[in-house]
Amino acid sequence: MSLQLVFDALALGGIYAVAALGIALIFGVMRLVNFAHGQFIACAVFALIVPSTDALAVLGLGALPAPVLVPLILLIGAGLAVLAEALVFRPMRNASPVALMVGSFALGVALQNLLLALYGGRPKAVSLWAELGQPVQIASASVPLLQLIVIAAVAVILAGLALMLRKSRLGLEMRAAAEDFTMARMLGVRSNRVISGAFALSGGLAAVVALVLVAQTGVADVRMGGQIMLVAFIATVVGGMGSLSGAVAAGLGIGAASALLQAGLPADARPFRDAFLYGGVILVLLFRPQGLFAPVGAKPRV
Amino acid sequence: MMAKLGVYDLAVRYGKLTAISDLSLAVAEGERVFVSGPNGAGKSSLLSAIAGAVRAAHGRIEMDGEILSGLGAEAIARRGLSMVPEGRRIFPGLTVLENLSVGTGMRRDRSAVADDLETVFTAFPILRERARSAAGALSGGQQQMLAIARALMTNPKVMMVDEPSLGLAPKVVDEVYDRLCQLQALRGLTLVIVEQSSARAARVGGRMLLMRGGRIVADGDATEFAARDLLAEAYFGGAA
Repeated sequence: MSLQLVFDALALGGIYAVAALGIALIFGVMRLVNFAHGQFIACAVFALIVPSTDALAVLGLGALPAPVLVPLILLIGAGLAVLAEALVFRPMRNASPVALMVGSFALGVALQNLLLALYGGRPKAVSLWAELGQPVQIASASVPLLQLIVIAAVAVILAGLALMLRKSRLGLEMRAAAEDFTMARMLGVRSNRVISGAFALSGGLAAVVALVLVAQTGVADVRMGGQIMLVAFIATVVGGMGSLSGAVAAGLGIGAASALLQAGLPADARPFRDAFLYGGVILVLLFRPQGLFAPVGAKPRV
Repeated sequence: MMAKLGVYDLAVRYGKLTAISDLSLAVAEGERVFVSGPNGAGKSSLLSAIAGAVRAAHGRIEMDGEILSGLGAEAIARRGLSMVPEGRRIFPGLTVLENLSVGTGMRRDRSAVADDLETVFTAFPILRERARSAAGALSGGQQQMLAIARALMTNPKVMMVDEPSLGLAPKVVDEVYDRLCQLQALRGLTLVIVEQSSARAARVGGRMLLMRGGRIVADGDATEFAARDLLAEAYFGGAA
């Protein structure tokens, strides 16, 4: 296996892991599969450019230097998610999980249409950090600088999130609420704080995915969150709904498998890479329907 | 004198099923009240309604004259009413110490929190020993002790314990009650305990309420209950 392939697998798997975490964090505390997560990603992408339906994209925030731009886009992602929670999901707090899920679909459609109205439907070329495309020579492999940055960023994000969940008060409350929400409330844990916190983290993670997608593809497309949202959702199911480490492991696994199949499959079979990939997913779920890392304490809250 | 905990005309319904109707109750400060009765009498529903875990269909609940009914579970906990629920409901994936810390987030008296931790560790030394282990790895009796200790860490004025003896060996139940009474004396707690065994309640001592069909059908000293046959009457029908 070439070194190049290792970097490909890590970068793709890492970004799937971050996307899956965004889904799993909210599912953990609310038992809500937030299907609007893909549109959170898309909104963070379009926050980079000036609203207009012209074919040519003009960088707005995206023109800012990276040390300002990155925190700003993360804040926008977090703010959008917190706002969505307050406006859409908080009034539905006592609704059934199915109603919440339908609500998240509706929110996703609304956000997508908002983007269509503001920016038009055509994909736009966006050049963000083009200089990061230049290759760096590492032993036998020639790796784009961007890929190295993505891998490092994912590692920092995962470590930071793990530390935050282990060591901070909000992290403790989120973990307690994920195991038994009503019990946590009976111990004085504020549900609004925990849920807003989960949405803020999830929105921030969506923004990270958005930045990476734009930098990698050079395109802003209203539909661009959908595909990765699907992979992320599958990763949370394979990892075991409610398990954060499971979501990360499965995200990494699916990304790595995808990169390996891309390189390893015979050229004729390569167009059917995803069929092989999801065939593997089905096999895993046949043997472990509860997912690979189903948490002990996470009974569905009904 | 104003009751520490007052319940007036409480009704709890689950859909068309009535769990509690027209229930009134006054508990004095520092009192120990046992709630007994057959399965389905509404004991757990009463505690859940007071704690705000289920919403009352009708009636009023007060603590120190402040109305609790209508507030959410978190607001009620923040006013000093703590619950050890049926089945303990510890957080299995959190460590013992983390379980104890969840309920201290609302407290501003940081030094008192450290003292309280010392108090529960002294009362339940096994919790100190297992502080860093996952709570899910504890035995049933240890989990019960953890659930009680966790409720105490919120610094409650009123504590409600739902069936602390459920599924535990009699010797362990003795220990749990010993500690509970000890901590009550130490903290001046008001205690409401669901307990099926009138003999057990009589031995521990306190007031006893007998529930049946969602109402309180008898109210008196636990030792008298054990003597009289009111329990059997409630379980098997009798004249009532």
